Amino acid sequence: MYNYRKVTDDLYWVGGNDRRLALFENIHPLYHGVSYNAYVLLDKKTVLIDTADWAVGQQYFENINAVLDGRNLDVLVINHVEPDHAALIEEVLLRWPKVKIITTRKAVTILKQFGFPIDIDKVDMVDEGDTRSFGKHTFVFVKAEMVHWPEAMVSYDTTNGVLFSADAFGTFRSLDGKLFSDEYDFRGEWIDDARRYLTNIVGKYGPPVQHLLAKASGLDIKFICPLHGPVWRDPMDIAYILDKYVHWATYEPEEKGVMIVYGSMYGHTENAAEVLAHKLCERGITNTRMYDASSTHVSYLISDIFKYSHLVLACVTYNLGIFPPVKDFIHDMQALNVQNRTVAIMENGSWAIRSGSLIKEEISKMKRMRILDEGVTMASSLQSQNMPDLDALADAIAADLKK
Amino acid sequence: MNFQTTAAHEEFRQKVRAFAEAEVKPIAFTLDKENRFPNEIVKKMGELGIMGLPYEKEYEGAGADVLSYAIAVEELSRIDGGVGVILSAHTSLGTYPIAAFGNEEQKRKYLPDLCSGRKYGAFGLTEPNAGSDAGGTETIAEDKGDYYLLNGEKIFITNGGEADTYVVFTVTTPGIGTKGISALIVERGWEGFTFEPHYDKMGIRSSATCQLNFNDVKVPKENLLGKEGQGFKIAMATLDGGRIGIASQALGIAQGAYEAAVEYAKERIQFGRPIATQQAIAFKIADMATKLDCARMLIYRAAEMKQAHVPYGKEAAMAKMYASDIALEVVNDALQIHGGAGFMKGMPVERHYRDAKITTIYEGTNEIQRVVISGAILGKMKKSGGAPKAAGGPPAPAVGETGPRKKMIFKGDPAECAAKLLEELKKDGFDFTVGQPIDTPIVEAERVVSAGQGVGERENMKYIEDAARAFGAAIGSSRPVAESLQYLPLNRYVGMSGQKFKGNLYVACGISGAVQHLKGIKDASIIVAINTNANAKIFKNCDYGIVGDLKVVLPILTKALDTGDKNPAPPMVKMKRSVPAPKPVPRKIGVCLGCGFEYDPYVGDPTSEIAPGTEFKSLPEGWVCPHCGEPLANFIEIEV
Repeated sequence: MYNYRKVTDDLYWVGGNDRRLALFENIHPLYHGVSYNAYVLLDKKTVLIDTADWAVGQQYFENINAVLDGRNLDVLVINHVEPDHAALIEEVLLRWPKVKIITTRKAVTILKQFGFPIDIDKVDMVDEGDTRSFGKHTFVFVKAEMVHWPEAMVSYDTTNGVLFSADAFGTFRSLDGKLFSDEYDFRGEWIDDARRYLTNIVGKYGPPVQHLLAKASGLDIKFICPLHGPVWRDPMDIAYILDKYVHWATYEPEEKGVMIVYGSMYGHTENAAEVLAHKLCERGITNTRMYDASSTHVSYLISDIFKYSHLVLACVTYNLGIFPPVKDFIHDMQALNVQNRTVAIMENGSWAIRSGSLIKEEISKMKRMRILDEGVTMASSLQSQNMPDLDALADAIAADLKK
Repeated sequence: MNFQTTAAHEEFRQKVRAFAEAEVKPIAFTLDKENRFPNEIVKKMGELGIMGLPYEKEYEGAGADVLSYAIAVEELSRIDGGVGVILSAHTSLGTYPIAAFGNEEQKRKYLPDLCSGRKYGAFGLTEPNAGSDAGGTETIAEDKGDYYLLNGEKIFITNGGEADTYVVFTVTTPGIGTKGISALIVERGWEGFTFEPHYDKMGIRSSATCQLNFNDVKVPKENLLGKEGQGFKIAMATLDGGRIGIASQALGIAQGAYEAAVEYAKERIQFGRPIATQQAIAFKIADMATKLDCARMLIYRAAEMKQAHVPYGKEAAMAKMYASDIALEVVNDALQIHGGAGFMKGMPVERHYRDAKITTIYEGTNEIQRVVISGAILGKMKKSGGAPKAAGGPPAPAVGETGPRKKMIFKGDPAECAAKLLEELKKDGFDFTVGQPIDTPIVEAERVVSAGQGVGERENMKYIEDAARAFGAAIGSSRPVAESLQYLPLNRYVGMSGQKFKGNLYVACGISGAVQHLKGIKDASIIVAINTNANAKIFKNCDYGIVGDLKVVLPILTKALDTGDKNPAPPMVKMKRSVPAPKPVPRKIGVCLGCGFEYDPYVGDPTSEIAPGTEFKSLPEGWVCPHCGEPLANFIEIEV
């Protein structure tokens, strides 16, 4: 049975939800599924905006057919060719062979690389600022290069202020019958998934996101229709998510707080991390979050480092190096261009304590990172002689946060 | 063209030669023996009008040509290579940068005094870690609004301590290599600008050479030569000209030795006739004369080219390289001709022999001259097999093993040094009425007084113990003191393999500063070094240092700090490190909108042979993204 929803006059959501997928992009764990959004505009011409993943193919076509209600499909706008959105293009072409595709030049190249039978005569290639009218509605196309792929664009309906934002403003989680952000407790329930999605997938591309935001700032946006997650229509919600995006894209922390990540083999480094957290609490610092690097998927760690201003890495020395789960986290931070954080280091080891100096070296390679002078070096476990250092560290972090 | 100098030039040569023979020759031996700078002679050189030969009369220069200057250096060096280099360093190193790159105001202020010889000039480029490679310059000038704050040291500076103005090359923008170097005019007598004693040199002993120290010297902005970042260019242009001077000096020294040898060969009778009649000697003389003429031609050509304002860098390098190389050959042969007599002090040839050596070394070693010459011929060629420079961040500023430190070093009167040290420690907040027992474990100690091998005999350990009590500190040592000398138990040695000190005050006495030891104290808040050797590595790794004998310094400190029995120390509060780590300089990077690649000037682009240090906006036309081939136009520039 079809299950589409109306977004606004002439515009319908025709996507689907996938709760079977375990790993998004085969890397990031999903616990509440994900939605693949697509939209149909009914104007003088009928316009399908993006396709979806094979996983929701049946639902997608049922929805389109129901919305079209016997009309033919005239235009397919492809904002982004990543296969979770482009997978069904060939099926669309089989069902509506005369459909005209509107997309960018780069998108055509990549679609051909993926093996889609694109007939170049049926492609209307658009560039920055081009407009196309479908009757009442006129779209303007804005390139969204490297948000997070090079071919991406966003489409803006100048008639009703709808922005089809591609992967920007998307989140994990399935929609569960609801559609608009104001139908959820977004700020409480969803924001962590939105952050985990954005930071892990687009985190590296802060400058291109800022570039796009600058270009979009001139548009009067009434609706944001992303390719994953809820549609935004409440002005307060739109302002809220835009503000989050500005923080993430400029690598400004959202909150003054401390993320403590430990890598511990037998619990001794973990103990030191806990003692530190306790000492921070005694100093009035309660906005802290502790993670075991070994048992936490790194996408969660990345998500929270974009949230908090301070990071404590407590790490044991392993094979004369950094404990691998912590090392993975550091590598992911480097890969995702994490910047502008204050880092404190607690190192452990039983015969050659090296993790701290190696972590320092790695963090120093990142941009605008500050490493606190204070730190703790412990031999095997935290002992009374380490307490002055630990106190000094807690003092330094507390002083920093109270600034 | 008959390859002859003009009659006017020869007349000028006679004038300088007469001066050198009358004024310099009689005292040359004494100057050499006493390592003395001949102020009285240099004053007379000013009166003779040769201190500003190639500079305009408007600035009290002689308005003569470069060739005249070369002849003057040659003629002085013919008698005394040291006096020759005084003129060369003054004219082409100390004065030239101001004449060529100074603004009108700077020229009016400095040139008349320099060109008239009322004042002398010098040039400060070489540093412990920068010589042939100026990119290693560590002297730094911080922009403080209307002045620069200059810190660092320069070594091997000719006319050092005697000159009145110094053109000093310093980093003004760290992290971007030679493009961050600027030239400043610094005057003798400014606060914080001090000199080390003159070096005891092998040759050119009548010239003054010493180390310059800059300790928070305020240099007004108007003393910046050219623009910020032009320092390297100014230095290189100056050295091109300086090479003509040094080539002339080498030529003059060799000429003097040669003439002495010819004279001696004609007088010395062996086997019943002058040795000059032996082919073995005569042929030597023929070779020497030929080499001298070749060198002279090369030098005069370079001088004429400079005068004509055509590019002359390669020719100046050839002249300097050849003249100094053959100078060594000529003085060697000249001394050989003298036989045993030449080996005796007092014979000018013995002095020429020693004086000549420096000419293949300074103002660009002859190896560097060959780099210049071959570079001019072959262009910049790709080095095969050379790994691209390691990526990742700016070149580290000069930071020792123990991280950024104040490096405030006191020298001179031990009592004054001790007083200054204690004053600084007091400012840092140390309370010496409290203390810990000297057997406090090192890891628990707030303060440690530590002995190195410089302590000497076992009985001297009492100085360390007394000082530890006076400082309220635990006693420690370097590894050899515990392990080889066994003055202390093994658990008291500090270092990478021993105890690590993370407290507030570490007093290193007679510790040279081996890396192993420094790793054990890198987390100390304040490090104090006491050592007789001013060049000891510990001084590069300390906050305060006293150059002096611990047997003298420690008793003074002990007496000053002795408050009887110390009150028990309260729980340690770790002090903040006094010198924060340097902040990275913001830089512009380019982000590719085709793939997200970031062009970082710190890294450059090895795939297109773009050297590290190349700014994004300076990338050549036609450069494309190394990863996806996107053109420059599809990059956005951001600051990080």
